[in-house]
Amino acid sequence: MKELLGKVDEPGIIDCSCLLKGKDVIVSSFSKSKRNHETIAKQTFSYLFLNVAKQKTKHDEAHLEIGEQRLSGFLLKPGLVLVCLSDKNLNITKVRSHIQHIKHLILQSEVDKMLA
Amino acid sequence: MTMTDYKVLFTGSVCSGKTTAIRSLSDIETVDTDARVSDSAIRRKKKTTIAMDYGVLDLSETARLHLYGTPGQERFKFMWELMMSDLVHDAEGLVLLVDNTRNDPFKDIRFYVEEFRDFIVRRRLIIAVTHSDEQADPDHEYYMGELKAMGLFTTVIFIDARDPSSVLKIVKELVGHREKNIDWKGLGQRLEVNSTMPRIEVEGDQEKEPLAVSEDEPVSLLDAALNTRGITGAIHLGSDRKVLSSNVSNKQNKDLLRSMVNLVSALETKASFMGSIEDLVLCGPQQETLSVFVEEEQALGLCSEKDLSINVVKQQAVDLLQWSQR
Ligand SMILES: Nc1nc2c(ncn2[C@@H]2O[C@H](COP(=O)(O)OP(=O)(O)O)[C@@H](O)[C@H]2O)c(=O)[nH]1
Repeated sequence: MKELLGKVDEPGIIDCSCLLKGKDVIVSSFSKSKRNHETIAKQTFSYLFLNVAKQKTKHDEAHLEIGEQRLSGFLLKPGLVLVCLSDKNLNITKVRSHIQHIKHLILQSEVDKMLA
Repeated sequence: MTMTDYKVLFTGSVCSGKTTAIRSLSDIETVDTDARVSDSAIRRKKKTTIAMDYGVLDLSETARLHLYGTPGQERFKFMWELMMSDLVHDAEGLVLLVDNTRNDPFKDIRFYVEEFRDFIVRRRLIIAVTHSDEQADPDHEYYMGELKAMGLFTTVIFIDARDPSSVLKIVKELVGHREKNIDWKGLGQRLEVNSTMPRIEVEGDQEKEPLAVSEDEPVSLLDAALNTRGITGAIHLGSDRKVLSSNVSNKQNKDLLRSMVNLVSALETKASFMGSIEDLVLCGPQQETLSVFVEEEQALGLCSEKDLSINVVKQQAVDLLQWSQR
């Protein structure tokens, strides 16, 4: 799992990332100094996507810009959110296309784990 | 004798002075089809077909400059692509007008540089700062420092768009090295008639212009939002994050936006040590994009069409918020 985040993190694009299952962080590459961001991301995206589920809409991507940073949450499947931290000045489309690229890898590894 | 034709494209946020700069320079009556957000044209926007400025300046017997202005408002952004690939594909350069009274002029610069990135790769970019008579800071030195930090090595000129001789500095910078036999002084004098600088009151002058009174009711932020391209609903919130007005019709979107606003206000108190929250955006396939933009005095929630890029929604929100302060 941790290796996967290694693929998510990309110098100049994604500083660090974590995977949320429900309200819990199951794996994370956030450093100690970025723990606050992880906490905020956890609260923000679990709350947001819970509301999305309640409203039964198909929103699956959220961004919070705070200070000089941007926290992005990508709903991979119900209850599973990939969070990543990037510089606010980086174009969002870069973050998005990078994540689109590796999304299937993460889902695949989830499936593998379930089959194992 | 052959005539050399130069072209230049002016861009920048609403009210940055594009129309005024082109008018200051043009020998012909400029074509102006700009529908301004702050006038009542907003309610009659259907009348507006195209929205760009055009003017021509005879530089000398053998050289001519064509001036184009991008439509200011984001809702006309489709025109930018059109202009870049067609009308001005052979332009000398891009002049980015930056209104110095904006909350964060560098945010504007980043936005426009990003939008026009492909266009400026092979052309000159000149940043022309306007409205500095109203607000002097940031000054030239500060601009140079910030731009250097952004990796933008470009020319910054402070101008007053209303004053032809001031705007001529841009032209000189653009074509001066190519066209050696331009009579700049004569040009300045000829263009003086285009000046829209306020006349300096002569002492004892009794004639006072009556105060301009707008006959139209002020347009509310929500009206303005709904007349912005791609925006389908809006919520306006006060400094206490309570709803001032709202016109989001879709129930799901309304509920989601409300939960986003609640979230943002909770985060504002809890996470203030991490810096201020600027925006929260929620999007997805086949879904309208929902976004909340936060300032100290007010906040704005927007529903927008899914194809409108987040960058554009952001710029629109900045424009709307700034405009509602005026
Ligand atoms: N004080 C001041 N006013 C300016 C300056 N440049 C433009 N203006 C005024 O700002 C207003 C908006 O300019 P306009 O050219 O319509 O902006 P556009 O939306 O970019 O086309 C007009 O009333 C201009 O007279 C400047 O440098 N100083």
